[in-house]
Amino acid sequence: MTRAFWVLLKRELGAIFLSPVSHVIFALFNLVMGFSFWFCAAYMAQGARNVTVMQIFFIIFYFWFCLIIMIPIFTMRLFAEEYRSGTIELLMSAPVLEWDVILSKFFASVALYAGLWLPTLVYLWVYQALTRHQVPVEWGALGASYLLVLVIGLFYVAIGLFTSSLTKNQVLAAFASFVIIALLFFTGFLGFTAAGTGEGTARLIDYLATLKHMQTFAGGVFDTRPLVFYLSGTGLFLFLTYVVISLRKLRY
Amino acid sequence: MIEVKNLRKSYAGCQAVRDISFRVAKGEIVGLLGPNGAGKSTTMRILTGYLPATAGTVRVAGRDLLNESLAVRRRVGYMPENVPLYPDMRVAEFLAYRAALKGVPRRRVKARVGEVMARCGVAEVARHIIGALSRGYRQRVGLADALVHEPELLILDEPTAGLDPNQIRAVRELIRQLGRRHTILLSTHILSEVEMVCRRAIIINRGKIEASDTLENLAKRVKSGALFIEVRAADGEALARELRELPGVSTVRVSGGRDGWVALECAARPGGEVREQVDQFIKQRNLPLREFRCGKASLEDVFIELIQE
Repeated sequence: MTRAFWVLLKRELGAIFLSPVSHVIFALFNLVMGFSFWFCAAYMAQGARNVTVMQIFFIIFYFWFCLIIMIPIFTMRLFAEEYRSGTIELLMSAPVLEWDVILSKFFASVALYAGLWLPTLVYLWVYQALTRHQVPVEWGALGASYLLVLVIGLFYVAIGLFTSSLTKNQVLAAFASFVIIALLFFTGFLGFTAAGTGEGTARLIDYLATLKHMQTFAGGVFDTRPLVFYLSGTGLFLFLTYVVISLRKLRY
Repeated sequence: MIEVKNLRKSYAGCQAVRDISFRVAKGEIVGLLGPNGAGKSTTMRILTGYLPATAGTVRVAGRDLLNESLAVRRRVGYMPENVPLYPDMRVAEFLAYRAALKGVPRRRVKARVGEVMARCGVAEVARHIIGALSRGYRQRVGLADALVHEPELLILDEPTAGLDPNQIRAVRELIRQLGRRHTILLSTHILSEVEMVCRRAIIINRGKIEASDTLENLAKRVKSGALFIEVRAADGEALARELRELPGVSTVRVSGGRDGWVALECAARPGGEVREQVDQFIKQRNLPLREFRCGKASLEDVFIELIQE
């Protein structure tokens, strides 16, 4: 990694964590997640279940709703804002490579994303304390779940970065990445309607179904296929961003 | 310092720069002059490595822009039009970030930032948020940014646009001082600015270079300034006809007259000198004279003449 990358990363992290906007997002996100966890715990309290509280937490509506809404919102400004304000010219006329710029923005957003999830570990700790540690925690399954959440985040952040590089309109960037992410996410639900379409289609849908991946990992099964899928998707969208950044130079 | 050969740049369907070539020597202050939309900004963006050229070669500080883009960018300080800055950062913080980004060694960053802030007169707002600064301060922060990595060449795109007269004077003075240590290429559509700051001008129109010369030579290229005389005469038109007969005189116009006095405007042929002849002409006829004034050919005349062709 070049020095320019670290300088840019520091600047991007500063832009994120010193901005009041991220703090509001942070607070509201944890409001929803806290409610979601309370909901899961209340569900568990109704009687004996054959799932753990974290297993429900990772597939419940609140969880994936936030997953597909949050990322477009905090990635929309990455390039769009620089195009709108003209600072892209400052950035690109400095002695930096396109990849320095792209990767610094990418990793800063990933850091924000990971930061959003950290407090959810506190929920688990509170839960354990309140139940006097009578509920066993499957640390392996928990680790796998958080790993998958992170990897899905990489993919979706790369999509957000890509759409932000396409336009100087932040709203358009957010909506475009939301559409791509939602389409990918909801493909999994086609499983309900694909009963009669044959083996191949059903397997393809299974391969893409994010919710099913979450279920698998939260249940403690470590499957490499989803990891390959999300990581290669990340690589693809980062590369597409690079192409767009290089091509935009020819037009403006 | 800058060597541009047959540079062309076309965007989708439109040619912004058509085959221009010029040189800027080390230590020069050169003004890139032209009406809005002439291709000034495009040319500058290419020189800074922000935009790729469609064709042609550019060498900056002895390095080819295409093959050694990073090396060139390290040696060029660029202030874009309208001075885009990050509004959420503080002045000193922004300059330190820019210094590090442009490769100033870590232990030198603080000293460099202090130096350029003092130089550009922004030390008193070092802790202010850029978004809250006035236009004049923003412009100077932009200049400080362009300077922070001690570039050999400064490229300033309309450095005084949008400032009030006092700020314009301050920025021009600053540029003149910087000219002692740096080579400067600045663009403007304000002619007096070039006359005040630059030693040489490149006049560009519709993507082509119309003229490139020192200010004195440019002024010589058009008809030297008109000669205004006011004499007592009965018939102005008759006098004008006689004056036109003089060698070297191209046009004579009666520009006014009152109470028996006639005002005349004589223009010489390009490079010509008619003052002596007109003086003798008046003396021979013993005409009472109350005004004999030579209008100076201004860069404005050169500019308008070149642009209208």
